[in-house]
Amino acid sequence: MIVKLIRIEVQSHQDLEMIDITVQIERAIAESGVRNGFAWAMSAHTSAGLLVTEGIECLERDVLAHLERLAPKQPPEGTYGYWHNRHLDFDGRLGFNAGDHLKSILGGVNCFFPVENGKMVRGSRQKAYFVEYDGPLARTVLIQVLGEGSANEES
Amino acid sequence: MRTPGTDFHTHPLLVREMVERHPELAKAARETYYIGNNFQPLETFHLELNLAGIEKAVVLPMDASTAVGAVVWTNEHIAELCRMSTRFIGFASVDPHREDAPERLRCAIQTLGLRGLKLSPPTQRFFPDDALAYPLYETARDLGVPILFHAGMSWEPGSRLQYGHPMRFESVAAEFPKLRIVLAHLAWPWVLEAVALALKYPNVYLDTSALYFDNPRDFLRFAMTHQVPLTVFERSLRKQLVFGSNYPRVEIKNMAAAIDSLGFSEECLNLVFRYNADALLEASR
Repeated sequence: MIVKLIRIEVQSHQDLEMIDITVQIERAIAESGVRNGFAWAMSAHTSAGLLVTEGIECLERDVLAHLERLAPKQPPEGTYGYWHNRHLDFDGRLGFNAGDHLKSILGGVNCFFPVENGKMVRGSRQKAYFVEYDGPLARTVLIQVLGEGSANEES
Repeated sequence: MRTPGTDFHTHPLLVREMVERHPELAKAARETYYIGNNFQPLETFHLELNLAGIEKAVVLPMDASTAVGAVVWTNEHIAELCRMSTRFIGFASVDPHREDAPERLRCAIQTLGLRGLKLSPPTQRFFPDDALAYPLYETARDLGVPILFHAGMSWEPGSRLQYGHPMRFESVAAEFPKLRIVLAHLAWPWVLEAVALALKYPNVYLDTSALYFDNPRDFLRFAMTHQVPLTVFERSLRKQLVFGSNYPRVEIKNMAAAIDSLGFSEECLNLVFRYNADALLEASR
């Protein structure tokens, strides 16, 4: 049994952004030496997430726009406000990004793929995305690969 | 579309490359400045500026050796960071309680190439109108560099708000008419008093880096349209207001968007975001 945890850093460039990390997960699987098992990836943040969808730019825009409608950074004036808008002494700053945390909850923070014969198994149109809700920031994604493999393939 | 501007108030505390070179900076960020965010590559700072339509940032240290026994970045650290990026404008900090404070400021400007002075009376625990700081003001005036003062509210646990009341800056403004001073954070909650000083003294400037509740848009709308009408800033103080974010306590993108949303004319936005900062820094080029 092989269990390998790999950390990758993803640099976002925009406030809201979807970044395809499918290749990084495939690379982690290859490096792990696992032949049959699964790979699981998780964002280490609460204002970012991971999700799986079709890898086309128009859909990326729709996903972000829909999540922003559901959990806006600033609700329409005169409607409601966020309890999170207050000073957080443990952070030394105000927390006014509740909408970004809520988008992270709605979109999820992890994704899961089977591994077969050393390869990531996914639908032909599926891509794994890191999703930034409060960028630009350098973010950490954890990828854990678990399964059977041969010792000489372990790195 | 406003001109790419300058952020007159940033703290480079989270720049990972500097923390890796100087591990003591991690302790300063956590235990003296009390910021809990993750350290970030320098690239993140640049991207944050890009997203906000900001070209350059004033980067600030803090020497509070006497008051709290700590320095949050030295002048040498700031100079080192400025050598890593042409987008940074380094300011110095000196401990006003030290007898050699004027000489240290002169060295920071003339030897290290820094271009202004940052003082934080609430953290450094001195009243701005205390004579102990006057030799420092004389030196800054003679060097032609502005002083950016923390004014108003401070979250830092060891600080005392009484040192940041804007009325304690009046004697400085009056007795050093050729010294340009910037009161940070709109001196909130004493915005009216700070505005009164700026109205009376042309050498008093205000920076916009104020956020103490709600979010940048709603807070600045309260401070700059309700506490004081926006027309006062637009008509009377448009050449004495500079954009500042207080990054990383607030993201630059959020503060810039908040100022953009207030309703200033494009001419005024260009002054606030760019030309007033250029004028303040002109003598130190």
